[in-house]
Amino acid sequence: MIDYHAILPEIILALTVLAVLVTDLVTKDKYYAAVVGMAGLFATMIPLLTLALCDDLAGCSGELPRVLFGGSYVVDQYAVVLKAVFVFAVFIALLLAVAYLESDRYYEGEFYFLLLAAALGGVVMSSSRDFLTLIIGLELVSGPGFLLAGWRKGDERSNEAALKFFIIGVTGLALLLMGVSLVYGITGTQLFAELAATPQAIVDEPVFALGLLFVLLGFTFKISAVPFHVWTPDVYEGAPTPVGAWLSVGSKTAGFVGLLTVCYLAFPQVSNLWGPALWLAAILSMTVGNFVAIQQTNVVRLLGYSSIAQAGFILAPFGAAAAAGADLQQAFAASVTYLVIYAVMNLGAFGVVIAVGTRLKTYELADWSGMYRWSAGLAILVGAFFLSLAGIPPLAGWFAKLAMFSATIAVGDIWGYSIAVVAALNTVVALVYYTKVVKTAFFDPVPDTIDVAALEGMDVAPPMQLALGITAVLVLVLGVFPGLVSTLAQYSSEVVTAAGL
Amino acid sequence: MTIGDWLTESANWAFLFLAIPTFVASVMVVSSRNVVRAVLYLVIALGGSAALFLMLGAEFVGWTVVLVYIGAVIILFLIGIMITRAPLTKSVDLSHPISAKAPAALLSVLLFGVVAWAVVESFGLETIPLPEEATRTGEIGLSIFTSWVIPFEVVSFVLLAALIGGIVLARKDEPAEVP
Amino acid sequence: MDGFWLAALKVLIAFALLFNIVLVLVWVERRLVARMQNRIGPNRAGPAGMLQTLADGLKLMFKESIDPRRAQLGIYLAAPVLALIPALLIFLIIPIGAPITIGDTTYDLQVTDLNIAVLYFLAMSSIAVYAIVLAGWSSGSKYPLLGSVRAAAQMISYEAALGLALVPVILYNRTTSLAEIVAAQGGTFFGIFPAWNIVLIPSFIVFLIAGFAETNRAPFDLVEAEQELVGGYHTEYSGFRFALFFLAEYINLFNISALTVVFFLGGWHGPVFGPTFLQYLLPIFWFLLKTAAVIFVFIWARASLPRMRYDQLMEFGWKRLIPLSLVWIMVVMVAVGLRRFGLPWS
Repeated sequence: MIDYHAILPEIILALTVLAVLVTDLVTKDKYYAAVVGMAGLFATMIPLLTLALCDDLAGCSGELPRVLFGGSYVVDQYAVVLKAVFVFAVFIALLLAVAYLESDRYYEGEFYFLLLAAALGGVVMSSSRDFLTLIIGLELVSGPGFLLAGWRKGDERSNEAALKFFIIGVTGLALLLMGVSLVYGITGTQLFAELAATPQAIVDEPVFALGLLFVLLGFTFKISAVPFHVWTPDVYEGAPTPVGAWLSVGSKTAGFVGLLTVCYLAFPQVSNLWGPALWLAAILSMTVGNFVAIQQTNVVRLLGYSSIAQAGFILAPFGAAAAAGADLQQAFAASVTYLVIYAVMNLGAFGVVIAVGTRLKTYELADWSGMYRWSAGLAILVGAFFLSLAGIPPLAGWFAKLAMFSATIAVGDIWGYSIAVVAALNTVVALVYYTKVVKTAFFDPVPDTIDVAALEGMDVAPPMQLALGITAVLVLVLGVFPGLVSTLAQYSSEVVTAAGL
Repeated sequence: MTIGDWLTESANWAFLFLAIPTFVASVMVVSSRNVVRAVLYLVIALGGSAALFLMLGAEFVGWTVVLVYIGAVIILFLIGIMITRAPLTKSVDLSHPISAKAPAALLSVLLFGVVAWAVVESFGLETIPLPEEATRTGEIGLSIFTSWVIPFEVVSFVLLAALIGGIVLARKDEPAEVP
Repeated sequence: MDGFWLAALKVLIAFALLFNIVLVLVWVERRLVARMQNRIGPNRAGPAGMLQTLADGLKLMFKESIDPRRAQLGIYLAAPVLALIPALLIFLIIPIGAPITIGDTTYDLQVTDLNIAVLYFLAMSSIAVYAIVLAGWSSGSKYPLLGSVRAAAQMISYEAALGLALVPVILYNRTTSLAEIVAAQGGTFFGIFPAWNIVLIPSFIVFLIAGFAETNRAPFDLVEAEQELVGGYHTEYSGFRFALFFLAEYINLFNISALTVVFFLGGWHGPVFGPTFLQYLLPIFWFLLKTAAVIFVFIWARASLPRMRYDQLMEFGWKRLIPLSLVWIMVVMVAVGLRRFGLPWS
């Protein structure tokens, strides 16, 4: 008998996706499709909460982890937390998109439909504990991404973004599938729990190592880590900006979910193989991302490179711990902490970029000069989100950095210390360009080309206000009370091992 | 087991009979100068892989490859080429400069070498017995709707999303192009 | 008898049968259409003109085969053969009579029974599209190209409907082997009506209509609409090459009629009586009789229905037939589920 309570979030979300499509069909005002979608997202949160708090509820039985379908689908604390992250990310992206799409002639209902479908993919991925489900979930996250990136049909850069993203995405997928087929061929299983128990004789076979390598390569495409990062800035810039926001958070989180679950649950016994690879990818990503970001003059491209660098920071604790053979659980918690905080602040940063962009019709940093003069509110938000990305207290980013540093140092060994030093240097480099944006917005003179009077009169659309408000409050609250997110991360990391092994 | 022993088994000859054309055709897919011919080589390559599935007793997968890939996907390629480029007999030139070809060729040869080496190293020439009646269609159906029902349902969402998104991107907008 | 030789013999018999059937079929069609149009039809060669087809075939063989100057010769020559192959291969899985037991061995009256014959049939009919596409493209001429693009679009559209029409059959009979599908239609309802799959009426109708489109016959024969396209994809083919296309077309007609009988009209089932040899022959007779009836419907439609317009054809396929089949699949699914498992809450 299927445990319907455990998969209720998926069921509700799937029905929401279909409801959005039908709403789009029957209503004239496409706005309602987004409303239906948001209502569905709220409804999805309810079973997530009842699953997490089942013990305390009357009439609810069974605690996490709930294992379904012979271990191929597991709802544990980790899954619940990540599902909530996906639902949150898509909720914010939806709010950002509503204002953006209403501002011009876009296909709306289909946009919301694709966005929610991608969220469904993420939600499924968080629970999947075998390669088949994981990859199909990953496809449901990236497939709509390819299409959404090309949503500005008349714009050549958008077409290019979609095509580039698609080709690189499917190349990554092809590598991933190749790797999985090799691993499956030698072990005869694709369930993570069974893979983790692979006998040593099989682990030593070259095919196993090669398969693992391909799997890692496939995921590095998805999280846009160096050396497979080149598509990121182009795609974020060409795609409609709310899509960029979703890709930089939702799609990336999906990649991380895949990478972390696969490494942690399916291949824990070969952490000496994938550990150094992740360690190297982390170091390269943060260095390349940051140094290229310094030279950017376009804010969206800057965020693109910054997201590459942030991917490096997210990977750092996990890669270092695995390479050094240290306890993975703390590192895992640190990576999840960073991931959650990154999701919140990057969505906020993209939100404010969209808010400014809809007024200025440009994303060039030079035009942002003196934003404070014509919109103090937006300028303050720019300050909040970009400084948070830089890691300045009391904004949430500092705690992410702290968790990352303490975890890497706790690893000890040459692996841990070296990456901590590189990360520290990179944090300084990142400070340069994040503060440059803030400085431009606050202190530079307004360029002559910009009509201050006209800009002052424009309002930020209500859904956008809501999105910015939510993320800004979260960035502050999580920065001041970091215990919230660290509890969440600990909560998610403790059970994943119990369920996996 | 040596190569000599390996060649004494008729099944291995059947394998070579299928595998060599498949391999050659897949090389021709990328080296052919004419789009339509490249697509036809792809058909041969896919047909070969379908035949290999049949040889392994995976009837359902084999015929599905024929039905879906050869029968639908590639035909759509052909129709797409014909209605967009109308090449009649004119060949569409696909050649790239050698500077682009050489690294690609090198990379693929390297990749092939590594994978081939690893596979030979791990599996060798040993015979791995086929499980009896492992792929009865009914059993595949049952397992899809019991243990793999979640991926199955999710795939339908992937297809639905691709369908809707594809239509949006491909359809002609009514007046006034989206800026 | 050794398995290999048995199979070889069966293949040989199947081919001989098939070619003879085509000879008769062409003649029957010409005579019938002539009757319906108040003409006489071929009546000179042999008794009632029966040898006319043979004469035409011989004529085609001896005619010059022209190579168009701009043709892609290799593909141009391969296309007619490619048209014939799937047509012949589909026939291999059709059971034309009840299994015959001689001594201890039982011989199936079909060349081979695949356990996923339905899939095989769909795969083969989708391969048949290649011949048309390639013939049109490789001729190096405008009208054949247009004809072949039309044909390919039409065939893959209706193939979807064809496949969907078979899903209820599979659900209802719970097998994908043709022999078993026929066997499952053995009994009777209420002791009087034969338990044929024709109870799945919507499927039957969709299958028949899609069958018309698959074989490119009227009213779906825009592929070779003379007024617009000269002669469709085979405009540039002459002589024996044209004969191969012609042959393939009629074999396909026979195949689709025979499969309609297998899937929906009870295959070789029918009243069987008399001595042993009659018990072996009667099923074959019933099968051929039913097939002939379906073929008659095909010919009848050709003589009486006007050709559809292209956009009507596509709309009819995608907006009528496919949704209808999908809804019907759901209905059958629920019905079969209820019959097997009872109500979900019980």
